[in-house]
Amino acid sequence: MFAQLAWRNIWRNPRRTAIILLAIFMGVFSMIFFAAFSRGMANGMVNNAIDNLVGHIKIQHPDYRSDPDISHRIDDPRSVMDEIRPELPDGSKIVQRIRVEGVAANARETAGIEITGIEPSKEKGVSFIGDAPIEGEMLEEDDEHGILLGAALADRFDTEVGKKLVLTTQRADGETQSRAFRIRGLYHAEIQATEKAYVFITLDAARKLVGNKNCATEIAVTLPENKADRALEQTVSKCKEALKPFNLSVYDWMEQIPAMKAYLAMFDMFLYIWFVVVFIAMGFGIVNTVLMAVFERMREFGLLKAIGMKPAWIIRMVLGESLFLLIAGCAAGTLCSLAFTWYVAVTGIDLGSFAQGVKMWGMSRMIYPAIDIGDVIAANAVVIVLGLIVSVYPAVKAARFTPVETMRQN
Amino acid sequence: MKRQATGILVLLALALAPFPALADEDGAAIVNKAFEYMRGDTSKSVVEMTIQRPDFTRTMVIKGWTKGKSDALFFIESPPKDAGNGTLKKGRDMWTYNPKVNRTIKLPPSMMSQAWMGSDFSNDDLSKTDSLVEDFDHTVTAEKEVDGMKVYELTSIPHEGAAVVWGKLELTIREDGVLLREAFFDEDGLLVKEMTNSDVAELGGRLFPKVWTMKKAGETDRFTRLTYQELAFDVKLPPNLFSLSSLKTKRR
Repeated sequence: MFAQLAWRNIWRNPRRTAIILLAIFMGVFSMIFFAAFSRGMANGMVNNAIDNLVGHIKIQHPDYRSDPDISHRIDDPRSVMDEIRPELPDGSKIVQRIRVEGVAANARETAGIEITGIEPSKEKGVSFIGDAPIEGEMLEEDDEHGILLGAALADRFDTEVGKKLVLTTQRADGETQSRAFRIRGLYHAEIQATEKAYVFITLDAARKLVGNKNCATEIAVTLPENKADRALEQTVSKCKEALKPFNLSVYDWMEQIPAMKAYLAMFDMFLYIWFVVVFIAMGFGIVNTVLMAVFERMREFGLLKAIGMKPAWIIRMVLGESLFLLIAGCAAGTLCSLAFTWYVAVTGIDLGSFAQGVKMWGMSRMIYPAIDIGDVIAANAVVIVLGLIVSVYPAVKAARFTPVETMRQN
Repeated sequence: MKRQATGILVLLALALAPFPALADEDGAAIVNKAFEYMRGDTSKSVVEMTIQRPDFTRTMVIKGWTKGKSDALFFIESPPKDAGNGTLKKGRDMWTYNPKVNRTIKLPPSMMSQAWMGSDFSNDDLSKTDSLVEDFDHTVTAEKEVDGMKVYELTSIPHEGAAVVWGKLELTIREDGVLLREAFFDEDGLLVKEMTNSDVAELGGRLFPKVWTMKKAGETDRFTRLTYQELAFDVKLPPNLFSLSSLKTKRR
């Protein structure tokens, strides 16, 4: 009976109902869409970070991370790779690299950079450089004097494809070593900082530069996309087991970029805070509308009381009205936001117009919103539960009217 | 008549043939000779270095020793604030010593292109002195007569693959081996910086330019000037002079 009463009461003033429904709808819609948008942004950042020469799993000398120096190298990367290859899920990719600090110089500029020796053909699908758009040419496998430069760095050096760049670094025996390289191509990366940080030469050229014929400083594993989450932990422990005889460390990506992990946790917090903030704005609307509905109907409540309705029943009735409003608004908001998010997720959101700022934060230009079912439930729960709680006040107010009081008002 | 015509033709050909008339070895030989002339086997010098900037001028006195193509040791003598700061160069590696912290530091690659003691000379200019002889092909492009002395103008192109940032150098060398000018160009052929040596006078038993000025292209009120006060060649140097311990103990 209360439900029926409440339902009918709602539609006695369709305009007011429509307004509050719209408020709830907008709130829920923005909560869910914003959540999906930020999840998409976070995913983009994680993928970018992993793409950025991190990889899902990385094997390095135990001291390399604290001191990225050529003296902390893997002396026999080939046998290490042979050792772990059988432990990896099908479709995994494995590469070796040399990464050392160095200096690039031409006649007018010098800059500290990271010299990265890669096997060009193997980087495809492993790190950004394998798939990066390149002006000029990609490095050939046996190119001992070619170098790839970030477009932003080339800008700073005021140089172009075909020109020379001198790299200087420390050799394995501690001596300083310089070699000249010809710029074969300029790569473009999602993030400008990347373009400025890395120059790429072939692994063989890097080995010559550091004066050690077989070494590498890291071995990186990229898991197939569908297994990246589930197989990670297991694969890491298998690799650790297999590499026991070697004095090497195995890291998963979260250990490699702890800042990213912390950031993701913070992201969750932000989302829930956002939910509460949106709700507070919405909550005032709900209280206000319900309160108005209650005051407008003072006579009615007085009458109900006069014919014997208990205060608790009145509270139930008013809360029932709120509940209907909330459920209807949430349902509409959830459905619309899901539909809208899916629609947007297909094409992605292009932040091209803010490219400069976006790049600075290490985000992708394209954002593909990702729905997390937990967020949807949380948004709905927050709105309905808190919505009912704030409606208690008008409901109690309604329950306190006495018939005499209400009649005196008019 | 016919013979005369041939003679004239030969003369004309000689006059018109631009530079290849002088062999490449010539260029290398000239540079080698100049390099040896300017450095000697060993040398000992006192140099006043003036760093000119738009808003200040700084002068310091530097005492230095060199040996062969690549070893050198310098100490700042004055002003007192900087006195005792030293630089040691062996091969292509450099170390600096700061008496205030009593430590020697090996210059990492990242510091090689920075200014040496705040001057217009970079650490690289000092550390890669022998690069001029080893990394370049020298071609004589002109030969002039100045004050009764032959002066060669050379263009030096770095070997392919040589770890040299310059696109080319231009050298002006007198026939007795005095280096008068060294200009550094980028790969587009634009001047980057230029060192001019002047005031050739008797110094250390040979004719030597007393004033060296290093200036970046396009700058008028910023340059660094070295003025030689004392210079002696082929002096006997104590053994192990070019070592970290003498850098630390400020051995004279």
